[in-house]
Parts: sequence; C-alpha cells; structure tokens
Amino acid sequence: MPESAALLAALASHLDGRLVDSFRLDQSGAVVATVVAQDLRAAARFIHEGLDARFVISAGTDCRPAGQGFRVDHIFSQDRRKTWIVLRAFTSAEDPKVPSITPDVRAADWAEREFRDLLGIEPEGHPDPRRLVLADDWPAGLHPLRRDVPYDIHPEPAAGQAQPLAPPPGDAVTVPIGPFFPVLEEPVFLKVFAEGEEVVGLDYRGFFNHRGIEKLGDSKLTYNEVPFLAERICGICGFVHSTAYAQALENAVGAEVPLRARYIRSIVLELERIHSHLLWLGIAGHILGFDTVLMQTWRMREPVMWLMERITGNRKSYGMNLVGGVRRDLPSAEHPEIVRVLDRIEQEWVKVIEAVLEDTTLLMRLRKVGVLSTLDARELGSVGPTARGSNRPIDTRIDHPYAAYDRIPVHGVWKDSCDAAGRTLVRLEETLESIRQVKQLLAEMPDGPIMLAFEEALPPGCEGISAVEAPRGEVIHYVMTGENARPYRWRVRAPTYANLQALATSLRGMTIADVPITLGSMDPCFSCTERMQVVDVRSGAVRVYSPAELREMARSGRGRGGAR
Amino acid sequence: MPWTFFRAKVREARICLSAGRVTLPYPYAPAPPAPGFRGLPAVDASRCIGCGGCVSVCTPGLVAVADDGPRAKFTWSLARCTYCGRCAEVCPEEAVTLSADFETATGDIRDLTMVVDVFMGSCNRCGRCYRTQTPLDPPHPRLQHEARVEAICERYRPAGAAAPTGAEVVS
Ligand code: SF4
Ligand code: SF4
Repeated sequence: MPESAALLAALASHLDGRLVDSFRLDQSGAVVATVVAQDLRAAARFIHEGLDARFVISAGTDCRPAGQGFRVDHIFSQDRRKTWIVLRAFTSAEDPKVPSITPDVRAADWAEREFRDLLGIEPEGHPDPRRLVLADDWPAGLHPLRRDVPYDIHPEPAAGQAQPLAPPPGDAVTVPIGPFFPVLEEPVFLKVFAEGEEVVGLDYRGFFNHRGIEKLGDSKLTYNEVPFLAERICGICGFVHSTAYAQALENAVGAEVPLRARYIRSIVLELERIHSHLLWLGIAGHILGFDTVLMQTWRMREPVMWLMERITGNRKSYGMNLVGGVRRDLPSAEHPEIVRVLDRIEQEWVKVIEAVLEDTTLLMRLRKVGVLSTLDARELGSVGPTARGSNRPIDTRIDHPYAAYDRIPVHGVWKDSCDAAGRTLVRLEETLESIRQVKQLLAEMPDGPIMLAFEEALPPGCEGISAVEAPRGEVIHYVMTGENARPYRWRVRAPTYANLQALATSLRGMTIADVPITLGSMDPCFSCTERMQVVDVRSGAVRVYSPAELREMARSGRGRGGAR
Repeated sequence: MPWTFFRAKVREARICLSAGRVTLPYPYAPAPPAPGFRGLPAVDASRCIGCGGCVSVCTPGLVAVADDGPRAKFTWSLARCTYCGRCAEVCPEEAVTLSADFETATGDIRDLTMVVDVFMGSCNRCGRCYRTQTPLDPPHPRLQHEARVEAICERYRPAGAAAPTGAEVVS
C-alpha cells in the first residue's frame, strides 16, 4: 500500500509532525496512526474532511494490564481506496479522557457515548452528557467493559439516575413511541415531537436489550465459541456477524482461508441477503397496510429458508463459521436445487418489481418520505440500502472485498431519490443482483479444503478488522487477540447502529403517519406489539391507538392537529 | 396514472393467483426436516466414555459434569441448546448425534434435561477413580483402547504420559 505512506505523511504534516506511531495491518487493509490525545480532534477532522473518509465506529480498550492506560480507536473508511484508517490515542489510567470528535464528526455521537458508558473514558466536549448503553439503574462509576469488572457481576440497582429526555421544542406535542417499537429490531423508546401532524424533532433512548456480548467474548468464550454467539447478534442476518468475526481474527493472525470456504461464505451471505430483502418488502407492505405484499413475499421467501436448512442444518443461525473456514461443504449435488429455487424466485421477483413500479398508491406512501440527503447520509455515517437509497455509492463488497467478492463482479445498486422509495428500489434490485452472484459463485466454485487447521495458541496482541455487507448495511468487527485462547477485545458494530442515528434527520418534516415506514425503510424488524401513545403535554391526556386505528388514521388523513 | 395503477393491480392479482395453495397440513401431517438438519442432540449413554469433550466445546456450556464417587454425571440442560452440533463433532465415541427432532416446546423443563451417568475408570494400582483423557489432549483416546489394562492414575504414571481411557458405562 504505497498510498498508506502518503496518507500518513499527509496526516503527519497536518499535525506538524506530531505522529506518535504508525503501522499497517496488511491483511485487514488498515493503517493505524497513533496521535497524542490532544491532537485527536484535529486529526479526526482532517481524516473526515481532508481525506474524505467515512466515520465507522470507535472502540475503547482497557490497556491498563499492559501499563498503557486506556486506548481509544476511531475507525474510518476510505471507501474508494479500500482502506481503513484507525486513529488511535492513549489516555491515563487514573483520569481517562479524550477530546470529543463529535462536534466535527457527527457520526461519532453514539460511539463516544458508548465508550464513556462502558469504559469510563470521558469524551470531553461531547454535546450529549447522557447515558447511551447502560441502564438507568446501573450504578454510576461502574464501567462493565473494564478488565477488572467480572462478566457475571450483578450490582445492586441504583436509584434516581433516570436519563432525562429532551423537552419538546416550543409548542410541540410529545408523541412517545415505545419502549417496544414494532419496526425495529430492538426495543427502543422514541420521543417524537410534533406540531400538528408534522414531526419537528426526536429524542431517543434505546439499548434496553444490551446483552454484554462483547464482554462475554473477551472474558468467557474461546476463539471458536465466539462465532456461535456472534451469529445471535441478529435474528435475521446472523451469518454476517460470524463471518465478520472469523475474518477479523483470520486477518489478525494472517490466516489464509481456503478459497472454497470463501466461496461458501459468499454464497451463504447472498442467500441470506435474498431472504432478508424478501422479508423486508413484506414488512414494508404490512406497515403500509398492504398485507398482500407481506403474504406473497413471505411465500416466495420460504423456499430459501428450506434451502438454508438443507445446506447448513438450520433455517436460521446456521452455525457454519469457525475461525479458519466453514464447517459444512456445499457439495455439487446440492447446486441444482439451489439454482432451481433461485430461478423460481427470480421469475416472480421480476413480476413483483413491475407491479411495485406501477403501483401509484404504494409509491405515494414511499416517495418524499423519510428524506435523507446525500450529504446527511455521509455526515451521519449511514450504510447499506439506507445510504445507497440516498445516492451514496458505498458497498463493502466493493470497497473492502472479502470472502469471494474479489473473484466475481459486484454491481452496486444506488438511487438518487434520497427517500423511502429509493431505499425500496435498492433492495428490490439488489435481490436480483444477489441471485446472479450466487449462480456465478456456484458455477465457479473451486474444489479443495473448506477449513484451515487452526491452532488456538495464537500470539496475543494481534489486531484485525473485517467488514461484511449485511442486508442492512456494513457490519464491522474489530478483534485483538489475547491470552487463554480468547480475544482481548472484540468490538462489533451492526448497521442499524449507524443508520438509526440518521432517523431524527429523516423524520423531520414528515407526518406522524409516516414515522413507521420511515423507520421501516431503514431496518426491517418487527414485533407484534404495535401501539402508539399520544400524550398532550399540556393537558396530560393519554390516548392509546391500536394498529388498526393508526392505519385507519393514516388512510383517511384524520388525526391532523396532533393530540386529541 | 389511473391506468398504470389498474395495471399494477392486475399484475399483483396474477402473482397471488398463480401461487396456488402453499399452506402445509402440519401439524396434522408430519413435516420432516430436510436431510442434514440439526435437531435436538441425542446421547447414546452406552457409548459415552466421560471424556468431557462435549463439556468443553459447548458454547452455552449446557453440559454440566459432577463427580459422584466412582461415577461422573453429565447433565445436559438442552433447553439452552443452540443446535450447533459441536458436541457431536468433537465426541470421540460418536455418542452424540443431532436428531431430526425439532418439536421441543414443552411446559416442563425436565423434558429437555438428560443425565448420562458414566462409571469412570479406576486405577489398577490404587483402585481410585480418575478423570480420563479429553479428546482435546493428543493422542486421540480412540487409539488408546488397548491401553485399558494399563489404567493407572496420575500418581503412578510417568510424567507426561497420556492417560488411557477406561470408562465403563453403567447407565
Ligand atoms: S448442539 Fe451445540 S449447544 Fe447443543 S449441546 Fe451440542 S455443543 Fe451444546
Ligand atoms: S464421550 Fe462424547 S458424550 Fe461422552 S463425555 Fe466425551 S464427548 Fe461427551
């Protein structure tokens, strides 16, 4: 990477030569630049603007056992150059604090609040002093990701720490949604501020379901147990997580995974994308009150689930990945069945696209809804179909190729309408592209072993980064090896973490009836407790609407004028 | 506009009508899973030698082992099973198989709890019971069957020598 030398030189000259250290992680395609903590903000601004890199995630690490205090890594992606930039700084063990980069890099908002919660590293100058991840009754000063906090600690609940949610601006009425909101994967609590029917602001509280998975990974599980936990991070696209974890560790220790295993990973990843996008369209139809779409797309999806059961052993949570390869081969006897199922979906999917493109009622509910400009999508770090629907040409399969994506052409799909319709069309067309990719991968799959013999005694302190393009966007895993055959640090960022931060922006100016589909157009999970409570802050009157009533309101255009 | 809208509805109706009937008669008729499906683990107690391989690979840690005099009791709390099949993969005696059973819903957790009671090898010199080798320590225990008569515990074994297997299954 001669470019990485130029990149580091540019960064060093911007900081007047104050670069503490720098090295490359070759197999991950990353450069790590260590700066003194005081330079963090200037360096982040330069990387974000000067080098046109997209903010991805931050990771805090407790390095006190090595006598290095705490470490903060801000990970950026230079998509067109296929490079990760890790901006690193160390801070003292006694009083860990770093300057916040959020004032310049908006996308870092949650990531910085997260390391404040979990490691107690204070991002100085961060605009939001509230907790993000920790529960309200978690004792102050106890930071669970620190090495000296056991993974199975059950502290006494602390009282009186409820996190204040923002007050409504001006005359706006508060519409609380949640804490179990139907369209999202996790329980969330949204406080939507509305003036009349129009949304003017949003506040968010989530992470009610935080499971401490990273902590388990670095204190309880071994290298080859983590893939099975990683797979359970998501109930729809779990394979992306086990793949990203395995690849990050393989990158860390320089393991060359057999080519056949890489093809199998790509095939399973694309099959997962196909069933996820089919599922998503059904849910989008359901949110809009068009349940025929739900019934038909889920009918089309079911054969993919049966296929997965056949080739992996389970409909979901395939258990296929280990570090070094995959556990099950995909024998050529199975290929005709896979192609047969895909052919049938393709035939029907083309008809679905034709119908959707002409269905003016459906399109009216999607066009100019949940508008997210290209600039906002970049600034807020949006990924996947959410970003591509806003004309951001980013796709991890192209930008940071992994598995077998360097062997086949990947045709990225992006749309310039910057709304829910754009995100819908991206997913519709991507499904066809995935079908094409699976067929090509099957046809070209080489023979050979599927697993690299993997020695658990890995050297400690090796770092690896890997990203996978999940159906919802880029998933990124960072792994640093440790003692006792388990990671020292394992950092996971799911795509919804990035996309949800764009919600406030894309909801502004929408009507309340468009809130569900705006959310739905970013992330497709659903639970059946769909209820919305409208509180008039002035009178305190409460009224609960059922889903049927809400849909009725949406259809008839009633409900204008806010709380009633 | 109304014309394309009408055409879209005709297209949608065609998709629905061409689907035919897709609902399966399950549960009134059995719906066997695909070949290769990994269902509820089944342990053949007569084969288990108590090596503990399953205990050490199971990610949710659902196989608990308790020493009970000359016996080792392996309690499988299968309600926590993730159906990964690692136990079957590592078992040196092929005592574990992942069955085709997927109908695991129950109101009684005991339906998903299984106890395998294994008589562990006793030392030929002192008569005491001792833990046999795990498949994770080379050499592979299956190669060690001939060594049964040499079953002696750590105290009498030359330093570094592998423990032979000598388990006998009583239930
Ligand atoms: S299938 Fe996996 S989770 Fe279940 S008992 Fe075996 S190793 Fe444990
Ligand atoms: S023989 Fe098989 S079932 Fe018995 S303890 Fe060993 S791995 Fe487990």
